[in-house]
Amino acid sequence: MSSEPIERRVSYLGDRLRGRRCLLCGKEYFEIRDYCGRCGRKSFGKMVDIDLFFEKGELEVCTFINNPTNKFKKLGSYIYGIVSFHDGKIRVPGRLTDKLIKDEDEINLSSFEGREVVPRFRRRYSVDKSDIIPTISLTFTFADEYYPHQQYKVTKPKKEYDSPGIVGYGFYTSRFRIREGKMERSVPFIDEDAITAAVEAGKMALIHSGVDSTLVGKVYVGSESNPYAVKPIASKVAQVLKLGEENGDVQGVDAVDTEFACKAASSMFKDAAALVSYPKSNIQYAMVIGADNSQAAPRNSPGGELDLFVGYGGCAYIFGKQDVIAEIEGWYSCTSDTPDFWRRDGEPYPMHGGRYTGDPAYFKHIRKTAEKLMEKLKLEPEDINYFVPHQPNVRFPTRIAKELGFKEEQYLPAIQVARFGNTYSGSSPTGLASVLDIAKPDERILMVSYGSGAGSDAYSFITTSQISEKRKRQKLTVKYQAENPFIEYVDYNTYRRLKAGL
Amino acid sequence: MKSKRPAIIAVGRTKFGEHYEREPERLIEEAWLNASSDAGIERKDLEAGYFSDYFLPITNKLGLEEGFLSELTELHVPMEVTRSFSSALINACNAIQAGRYNVVLVGGMEKMTDRWDKIRDDLMLLEDPWSYYAGCAPEANHELMLRAYIKKYGIKGEDLEKLDIALAQIAVKNHIQALKNEYAQYRRKITVEQVLKARRNAKKPLGLYDFAPISDGATALILTSEEFAKKFTDDPVYILGSSSATDYLTFPAREDRTGFLVSRIAMKNALDKAGVDLWDIQVLELYDQSTLMEMISLEDLGFCERGKAWEKVYVSCQNFRGYYEINGKRLFVNTNGGLKADGNPLGATGGAQIYEVYKQLKGEAGERQVKPDGELKYGCVLELEGFGTKGYVHILGRG
Repeated sequence: MSSEPIERRVSYLGDRLRGRRCLLCGKEYFEIRDYCGRCGRKSFGKMVDIDLFFEKGELEVCTFINNPTNKFKKLGSYIYGIVSFHDGKIRVPGRLTDKLIKDEDEINLSSFEGREVVPRFRRRYSVDKSDIIPTISLTFTFADEYYPHQQYKVTKPKKEYDSPGIVGYGFYTSRFRIREGKMERSVPFIDEDAITAAVEAGKMALIHSGVDSTLVGKVYVGSESNPYAVKPIASKVAQVLKLGEENGDVQGVDAVDTEFACKAASSMFKDAAALVSYPKSNIQYAMVIGADNSQAAPRNSPGGELDLFVGYGGCAYIFGKQDVIAEIEGWYSCTSDTPDFWRRDGEPYPMHGGRYTGDPAYFKHIRKTAEKLMEKLKLEPEDINYFVPHQPNVRFPTRIAKELGFKEEQYLPAIQVARFGNTYSGSSPTGLASVLDIAKPDERILMVSYGSGAGSDAYSFITTSQISEKRKRQKLTVKYQAENPFIEYVDYNTYRRLKAGL
Repeated sequence: MKSKRPAIIAVGRTKFGEHYEREPERLIEEAWLNASSDAGIERKDLEAGYFSDYFLPITNKLGLEEGFLSELTELHVPMEVTRSFSSALINACNAIQAGRYNVVLVGGMEKMTDRWDKIRDDLMLLEDPWSYYAGCAPEANHELMLRAYIKKYGIKGEDLEKLDIALAQIAVKNHIQALKNEYAQYRRKITVEQVLKARRNAKKPLGLYDFAPISDGATALILTSEEFAKKFTDDPVYILGSSSATDYLTFPAREDRTGFLVSRIAMKNALDKAGVDLWDIQVLELYDQSTLMEMISLEDLGFCERGKAWEKVYVSCQNFRGYYEINGKRLFVNTNGGLKADGNPLGATGGAQIYEVYKQLKGEAGERQVKPDGELKYGCVLELEGFGTKGYVHILGRG
């Protein structure tokens, strides 16, 4: 069994790579020390917090580990070494992640040494199913590969808007894919899960928005693949991303997980927007994340049809009223008790209602919700620049888009399922991100999510002039991750193994 | 001060290797019996016991080992357990020099093969937790030090090949020495090609044959005050100087990652205390948990210039005659086969190192007996704990 206090302390320091710097001599420590070992008692009160979470380091020396200790066995073999930050003022041990090393691969350590690396938040090692999941950011990837180093620069807001909207967003998926027919689907690396995807997406949203993380007063994380039945993903996100003002070792932020199949995140957009608009909430920004390591039973077993479609990834949105890139024009939601897709507690994989997942479920709810919102806002299909539906596969969103009267140029840019698979709670938010990546100012986007069980949320967004300005802050766009030269394709067995995780 | 020199009057040990059928107490008993019958001493003569082991609490569920040893010896004298033989020995020396006791037993034991499937995890207890959390394995820091060494000294091309071969030669040499050691775990020859092939197969800078094995075993010695030693023997071996030092547990955080600070500090202090010149050392037991450690230790202790030890090893091993030729002198290193071939039951290892130097100085090393340039007078033992987190040096001499 894990030790709860040890886990708390290790992940508190290790997830964010927290440390201290001595103001007298400049020495840095990867630990929270009250005084500098070199300067002694005169350094009391002169130690300042540092953290390496948004920094880049250099892999100084490394070696190949092909016979790890027991808890690391599922990682197979990996590169392990010493990473230095701040020109060697601080050095930490680190494991390279996102690298599948095959038996036949040559290992040339010199080709890794001296390169820039980015800390990544990952699962630390395997534990029993009933244990606390250990995490750490002493896992690194090369900055010149899939995931570039990006600075997190807090930017002072320039403009206050009348109505709330999206201030920034981020999309994250892993660099692994499985390709079958025309479909490409994201596959997590073995140390990734819904928690790590949520943190990555949130990190991307902070980078894109330039929002001061201490001003984020609430975070919602929607997921249906939280590895815990009880314990929020949102608390991890809040702690790692330092959301809300720090008060000792707690964060001044409200954090909550939500669940409603694939609309767990989209449902909260309106709540986030309402919260930042309510003057007495004193909340300037609220973050909504949808992240899933979408679950599916193995093929040829009950529920195994989903295995052809599931993906992995997360998408995060920050809502506020300052420096908005897309204002919310209106919304409409509907709900019915339709059991088209479910997962019982304790079961690893969801089941679904076969052909009933289409007509009485997906199509009906999306149709009704979209039509109702368009009616409320007095909109015709031609008034809308982009239509973003939930996308469990390619066929469903295409059919409903056509049925609602949208043309290809209106809906195709949003259909991302053939590149990443169905990312469940992240699905329609990813479609929205791909549109925000390309939209011009003053364009209207209609997004309609769908969550089994069942319900839909429709939102109409109108982009502002700030959408173009903020775009240059984000390298890891949807397109960048879809067309990245460092994508690695894996076979079916590897895909199942990676997805099952540590 | 001279009269306060602690003296070793007898040493004993077991064979190192796998003792599947034997409990740890049978091993320490055997080592004690070997030592005590050698000296003609009895249990009732013992005034205190200093013991060492790392893993018995984990591997054999032995928490309060002092009580376990009291039960075994049926003695109720003061006993203390530390984690390395050298640390037990240094404590025993301090007590004897303080005039507290006249006769003490120093013993070390380890039973590592009892936890074959978990021992590599247990070994990580010797490293810092962050390295473990980041995925470190017991071999990794040795390899990182080698990489840092290559980088710091800009070793490449033909030189790099020579360095690789020199490290392999250390393993080959130690296996040859162990052929003459009846207690050694591995008594068979290996070749440079085997060492290199193991590295190639594992695609690692160091391979299976570069590392000391996992072993069971026990060692013991009887330490007395100088006056008391005379009652038992005319020719004791004295501990002329001992010293230890400590370094950061976290290897990546150390200022220098191409050697062991603890070895340098401990060696300097031990030589000072002993009043012995470095170049008077003729037999040397180094803590070769890896071939790299033997090579690096030659530099740390001052026998070779930093960044150059591999050259001396390479040249000496081209036509190996049982010693390294350094500074125009013969330096006999790890004549028992080192940890590599003699074995490495952690808590007992230092005892085997002392055992070897004692036997050499007494001229009782049989087939392994060294023939230095002049009269054999001084020997030195370096033991490390963890990856250079602690270091101990003992200078031994006769008369």
